[in-house]
Amino acid sequence: MASDPQSAANQRIVEDLVSRLRRRQLVGSRAAALETLLVLRQVVSKARSSNINQLVNIIRAVGRRLVEAQPKEHSVGNTVRKVLHHIREEYHTASEKPVVESSFSIAKFVLQGQPRKQTTIVRSGSEARAPLKENDPNDPDSFARVLKPVLMEAIQDVFDELETVYDNISKNAKDHIHSDEIILTLGTSKTVDSFLKAAAHYRNYTVIVAETAPSYGGREMAKSLSSAGISTFLVPDSSIYALMSRVNKVILGAHAILANGGMFATSGSLLAATAARSYSTPVVVCAGQFKLTPLWNLYHEHGALDFGDPSAVLGFDEGDLVEKVDVINPYYDYVRPELLDVFITNYGDHPPSSIYRLLKETYDDEDNEL
Amino acid sequence: MADFQIYESYQSLLKNENLSTPLAAILALTEMMMHSNAGTMFELLNELKGGAEALSRQTSNPIGLNAGCELFIEFITSFPQDAASFSELKTELIRHGQQYAEQALTYRAKIAELAFDFIKDDSVILTHSYSRVVLQTLLLAHKRKRISVFVTEARPRGLGIKTAEMLTAAGIPCTVVLDSAVAYAIDKVDFVLVGSEAVVESGGLVNAVGSNQIAIIAKAANKPFYALAESYKFHRMFPLSQYDLPSHNPGVLSFPQALGARALPASSGLPSKSSSVSSDNGSPIRITQEDIARNNPDVDYTRPDLISLVFSDVGSLTPEGVSQYLVGMFAG
Repeated sequence: MASDPQSAANQRIVEDLVSRLRRRQLVGSRAAALETLLVLRQVVSKARSSNINQLVNIIRAVGRRLVEAQPKEHSVGNTVRKVLHHIREEYHTASEKPVVESSFSIAKFVLQGQPRKQTTIVRSGSEARAPLKENDPNDPDSFARVLKPVLMEAIQDVFDELETVYDNISKNAKDHIHSDEIILTLGTSKTVDSFLKAAAHYRNYTVIVAETAPSYGGREMAKSLSSAGISTFLVPDSSIYALMSRVNKVILGAHAILANGGMFATSGSLLAATAARSYSTPVVVCAGQFKLTPLWNLYHEHGALDFGDPSAVLGFDEGDLVEKVDVINPYYDYVRPELLDVFITNYGDHPPSSIYRLLKETYDDEDNEL
Repeated sequence: MADFQIYESYQSLLKNENLSTPLAAILALTEMMMHSNAGTMFELLNELKGGAEALSRQTSNPIGLNAGCELFIEFITSFPQDAASFSELKTELIRHGQQYAEQALTYRAKIAELAFDFIKDDSVILTHSYSRVVLQTLLLAHKRKRISVFVTEARPRGLGIKTAEMLTAAGIPCTVVLDSAVAYAIDKVDFVLVGSEAVVESGGLVNAVGSNQIAIIAKAANKPFYALAESYKFHRMFPLSQYDLPSHNPGVLSFPQALGARALPASSGLPSKSSSVSSDNGSPIRITQEDIARNNPDVDYTRPDLISLVFSDVGSLTPEGVSQYLVGMFAG
């Protein structure tokens, strides 16, 4: 009963996003996160539910559709998880039930060590709301009526967070980049771009950008940085190791940060991180919190199984050769946590080893599998 | 009270194949409470601490049971005392103890499920000695994936052979490797999976001797080293070296003074068949397996930086995560 009349409308916007994700018309983790959030907002505002479980199930179903459409775009699932987490939190505050005040037992005692859930910002001036009633047969809409405004507010918060993510990451840029340093980066990453530009307001430093074949994202990056007045060098990927002895810091973007503290990032990142390790150069990763993914990289070598267009590597004009060789053009590298030093997120700076804790604070365990 | 022998009770509990030492210790303490006629919480706690100590004194390797006792006593200390009478409270506590032991038996299945996701099809797994939770995990993996297993012999107890027998009986391709052949075998292995006696505050691992060297070899070969541990094995201890473990005693790795002083007791048994060397005074010297075992440790400590992940019923944790749980339990 929960999803008959309004599901048609929902279906349309969900399907629209699904097909855009599947056709790769929508790429980039932040863009995907934003679009997901817009869809979820629609879904929540239209959803007819008389208790929390119905609502959660509706959102989960939508989430699953979206994730299946493009499983490698992790920020989609992450956004769904985050919204679910907020919904539950709002529900608990609204229902004013003691959250987990269940009986004391040894098993619960062990769980005391579990990372504490993020505390909700207590909204001041919340006028006495009508008590939250679930499954009220006389007034089936009362649940939605009371909870919906709060939920919309919560979703708006997530939205605002995404809007300001670059500013918040760049906030401390000047503490990480010092004068006259030489920074190495590669690929295009909006996050790294704004981070470097923010630091340039305070410091004079040099950036070496690897051009990052075959997408040549590095060229765009170099263009963007130099137009902001930063002294920039564009170098071929093959010289990363040779230049590493001169580099003070490697700054990378991420596609997804995994629970063990490793990450998926533009291919070439592993090369840079490994070279940095051999010179003990610090590797800094800039990424928004929405990239935190509650996944372990289970299958290291297949982790990067997301391939781009091989013609960028070997074009069809090479005629005979195309028949004789297999060409692969992976989008991402998996970079092991040992190779990374720090993650700079909009929620502070963290070493790879405490990522799992951030994850427990950000999402609910039951949502790891949507 | 005086007629209750906690060690006997503990030993008889251990006969149950499924009970590991920490759980048996918790149940033994529970039984002790039943026989106790303590009238106050203070008395009860004192008795329990005494019992835990007695257990620990009578066992050569008390690490596992210490973890159990520690958890149970800490739980009782922080138990809200809002029962109507003390005897009621005691019944309540006894119920909790038994309930937990029952519940804890389901943890292995939970851990197996967690670890299962990390085992990919066609994996070659190296395991060490005998561990019920590892066995359960491997059996579960065998149902849905193709796996093959190397098991170390795990001297001195040789429990690896038991593991190999059970795996072979289940139809899992399995080979016993010598403890000394681990480095030879490691390149064929996808990852290492071991059980544990206890997981300590640093995130390190106490397990059957040999685990440490396997972890070192795995690290050198860049292979993941996974430990499986039920949460009742989390132990509040911070060993800085092998010799900080309570199982270490002066006898372990000691040099027999007799040799230099030419006073090797003639009672050392028969000469080994392969070589018979004589000491200066003519009496034959031979070293038996028992002699070796007596001089060697049962368990060793593996540093956290060698461990990739710890799977427990509370989730898959990095070694750092374990210490967080311990701090939450005992200092929170």
